[in-house]
Amino acid sequence: MRQWVRDLAMGVRFAFAGGREGWVRVLLTAVGVGLGVALLLLTTAIPNAMSVRDQREAARQDMSYSATRLKKADDTLIVGYVTTTYHDKSVRGRELEPEGSKSPLPPGVSAFPAPGEMVVSPALKKLLDSADGKLLRERLPERVVGTIGESGLIGSAELAFYRGAEGLESKINGGNVDRIERFGTPSPPSDPLDPVLLLLILVVFAVLLTPVAVFIAAAVRFGGERRDRRLAALRLVGSDARMTRRVAAGEAMAGAVVGLVLGAGFFMIGRQIAGSVELFDYSFFPSYLNPSPLLALLVAVAVPAAAVLVTQFALRGVVIEPLGVVRTAKPSRRRLWWRLLLPVGGLAMLYPMIGQGRERGNFNQYLTVGGVMLLLVGVTALLPWIVEAVVSRLGAGPVAWQLAVRRLQLSSGTAARMVNGIAVAVAGAIALQMLFAGVDSQYTQRKSEPVSGSEMAVRVTDGSPIAAAEKKVAATRGVKHVYDISDGYLGDSRTDPQHFAPVSVGTCASLREVAKLPSCRDGDVFALKGDGYAYETADVVKSGKTLWFDDSDDDPTTKTVGWTVPKDITDAQPTEDSARIGRAGLLMTPAALPAGADRLLTTELYVRLDKAVADAREYVRTTATRLNPYEEPNELVSVSRNENYAAIRGGLFVGASCVLMLIGASLLVSQLEQLRERKKLLSSLIAFGTRRSTLSLSVLWQTAIPVGLGLVLAATVGLTLGVVLLKMTDTPVSVDWASVLQMTGAGAAVVLAVTLLSLPPLLRLMRPDGLRTE
Amino acid sequence: MNAPAGSLLSADKLCKTYGPTVALDGAEFSIHPGEVVAVMGPSGSGKSTLLHCLAGIVTPDSGSITYNGREMATMNDAQRSELRRTEFGFVFQFGQLVPELTCVENVALPLRLTGTSRKEAEKTALTWMERLEVDDLRKKRPGEVSGGQGQRVAVARALVTSPRVLFADEPTGALDSLNGERVMELLTDAARSTNAAVVLVTHEARVAAWSDREIVVRDGKSRDMERAV
Repeated sequence: MRQWVRDLAMGVRFAFAGGREGWVRVLLTAVGVGLGVALLLLTTAIPNAMSVRDQREAARQDMSYSATRLKKADDTLIVGYVTTTYHDKSVRGRELEPEGSKSPLPPGVSAFPAPGEMVVSPALKKLLDSADGKLLRERLPERVVGTIGESGLIGSAELAFYRGAEGLESKINGGNVDRIERFGTPSPPSDPLDPVLLLLILVVFAVLLTPVAVFIAAAVRFGGERRDRRLAALRLVGSDARMTRRVAAGEAMAGAVVGLVLGAGFFMIGRQIAGSVELFDYSFFPSYLNPSPLLALLVAVAVPAAAVLVTQFALRGVVIEPLGVVRTAKPSRRRLWWRLLLPVGGLAMLYPMIGQGRERGNFNQYLTVGGVMLLLVGVTALLPWIVEAVVSRLGAGPVAWQLAVRRLQLSSGTAARMVNGIAVAVAGAIALQMLFAGVDSQYTQRKSEPVSGSEMAVRVTDGSPIAAAEKKVAATRGVKHVYDISDGYLGDSRTDPQHFAPVSVGTCASLREVAKLPSCRDGDVFALKGDGYAYETADVVKSGKTLWFDDSDDDPTTKTVGWTVPKDITDAQPTEDSARIGRAGLLMTPAALPAGADRLLTTELYVRLDKAVADAREYVRTTATRLNPYEEPNELVSVSRNENYAAIRGGLFVGASCVLMLIGASLLVSQLEQLRERKKLLSSLIAFGTRRSTLSLSVLWQTAIPVGLGLVLAATVGLTLGVVLLKMTDTPVSVDWASVLQMTGAGAAVVLAVTLLSLPPLLRLMRPDGLRTE
Repeated sequence: MNAPAGSLLSADKLCKTYGPTVALDGAEFSIHPGEVVAVMGPSGSGKSTLLHCLAGIVTPDSGSITYNGREMATMNDAQRSELRRTEFGFVFQFGQLVPELTCVENVALPLRLTGTSRKEAEKTALTWMERLEVDDLRKKRPGEVSGGQGQRVAVARALVTSPRVLFADEPTGALDSLNGERVMELLTDAARSTNAAVVLVTHEARVAAWSDREIVVRDGKSRDMERAV
């Protein structure tokens, strides 16, 4: 055991004893391992983060969960739900009116704000203090007296506020204003992560982790030839074969352990950065991202162990003898069948989830990560075979080409290994870009259908005078046109009706907004024969039959009103807008409405906006809040989220480019190492007159051929994976050629940069000094 | 000193230092067409540096080198490279064959560098391999042949362009005596048959015995043994 420790320690000393080159090697290995460790830790922290998020959401639940209304007591609190939307982001809002000294405080709030005051989340405070939040400030004019603590929020970017209120008791309706005696719920309803978002997270990590793993595998093999010679020297002075392998293990472990330390550092930095990132309205506090101690321990043990295993694996074809290193006989021709098993296995793991979409629950995490990783790792298995198969068929051309091709034919494995990382990173990034583009375009398409009519609907309740509300909305900046429609239902019996017909009431002008009317006078009734009319309305609406206005959702004190179906109901066809939202049923002018029925209808003001006014929606929301803070205007059409996608796509490109740069750095180190090994040969070639340009070009070909093949394979695997992922999310398949070109271009640029950067040392190595032996 | 009459390649008062190490300190040299001159001396005496300077691989700090009546200092790097490609041939101690090329491709390489087509170059290469009795190795890679065979392939590569001067730096240094003798026999025979001058750097007297004349280099200074006699 002592001997083992001594051998490992000697290996660690060797790792750092190689001068500047040795340090660079250790540092590159450590950075690669560090990135991998940080990503692994982040991945292991996500389940915990989701669970903390759910717990905090449950802890601040403010529903009474009671069939009977609570009575006012010393420990009750009245809560008004005043959530609003600002620039497409939800702003969670509550009005609080404590009814006694024991009224429960919401989590994260230390004292109730008085009327005219509010406590806000840090993100909302920042927004309100900024120029961007000016319009929201008009809607939330209360004085900010404090901030909501982390325990009361579900994300660092969440916009939320609690404001003081009075006189809420009269507004309690079991809906938007309620009385509660505690926050939180004993049986929290789970708010599962959107399956597609979960899939995106899983794929992002698999796509980022795989190239890093490939990079680590390549990095621990840096300086292999020198290490072998060092080990041979050790054999000469008496080390046996096992001891030399332990020394090699020690060397590999040194880089991995430094990598672990760096990884912990990267993770801490990443954790802080994660706190400022918001993706599809999800954000986290850094404190949420705590990996489970067991998983963290597993990472700490598994990473150095993996590094040692890779080193031992690389040494399997090498016999280190006291007088040098003997490589075992030329390896047999590479076989294709088992290499195909990996990507095929990956596809087989993903196949059962094809067509699942977001409606059928979460994607199986293990199958998803396993499938994606197998497909990507399949690149590393296929590439050596492809490079070997292609270069063995390449003929001899000019000298530079011949030198490169012959070198590749002799050692295509090394060349493929150097390119593997880049190919995997590019394949993963292409697939991910496709998935993002597909999911986002689907979302954008759904939300941004061209609409000729109204874009928002403001509900008028609480018996507010409709005309006055309409006037205020019409006077709002950015509003082009307003009309009102009141909606309700007519049931087929006075009590417990079984069938209903929707009814919409408005002036002839208002009704013309929703239907094509042949003629219209006050007192007319129409049958709007949109989609769905035939299913229910036609059965209920029979001439001479008495129908009853539905009162089930309203105040229990109100009484239903009957209405007899007249003989002369004129048919009407829906307008384009009405057809889009599926409006159908009866249309009534005000004079046709029986007395007292207006109380059983809900009125909405339909608003058409002036597109020239940038923040028209926000002005309307502010007016609506002033009319009734407990009702949010409905968005009939939302703005697209292209900006969001562009940011994600940009971020992904930056991330993938960073991985590519890291791999590029390792490629450069590896390239220089190979050139140094051939210093004497290069000098002798120069001695008998070989042009430097010929040798430089040969180095370029030597890199460009495997990289070209690698990028073709990467694009193929990336597109395949992208198609499979899109089919899994039930999204129409479309290829994002821009990102394919962008990523393959980035891969090619890395190779070009590596070649250019290796030229100055190459020219130095080609100096005749290389022939000196003394 | 002017170049000796009839000499193909000559050097006068060559000085070369590598940092604090003086490699050449006023060395002189001359060789005639078809002549074999051995440059002898102990390790570190400057004999390889003299060879590199004569071949235009290394530029001396001072002194002059004349090849075929032309001062080498007046040539730029490209011209010196062309000279090495077309007029000179080289044999090094360890052959320095390109490991990934086959033996025939290695021998053909200097011709291909001068623009000869692959077919033509390999045809000529094979002729030289036959003369050096290694034609059976044409499809093998350097890693698959013995040291002596590899060195004969290297000699064939050096002679394939029919150079006027062949520079051989310890050509038998890595071979046993039997193989060394055979390589020297083939090298000198082939060079004489083409009237090529041979600059033979060695520290072994039995290798130097294949030469017409010996020059001894010690502490960067040269001494022509024939003239000394």
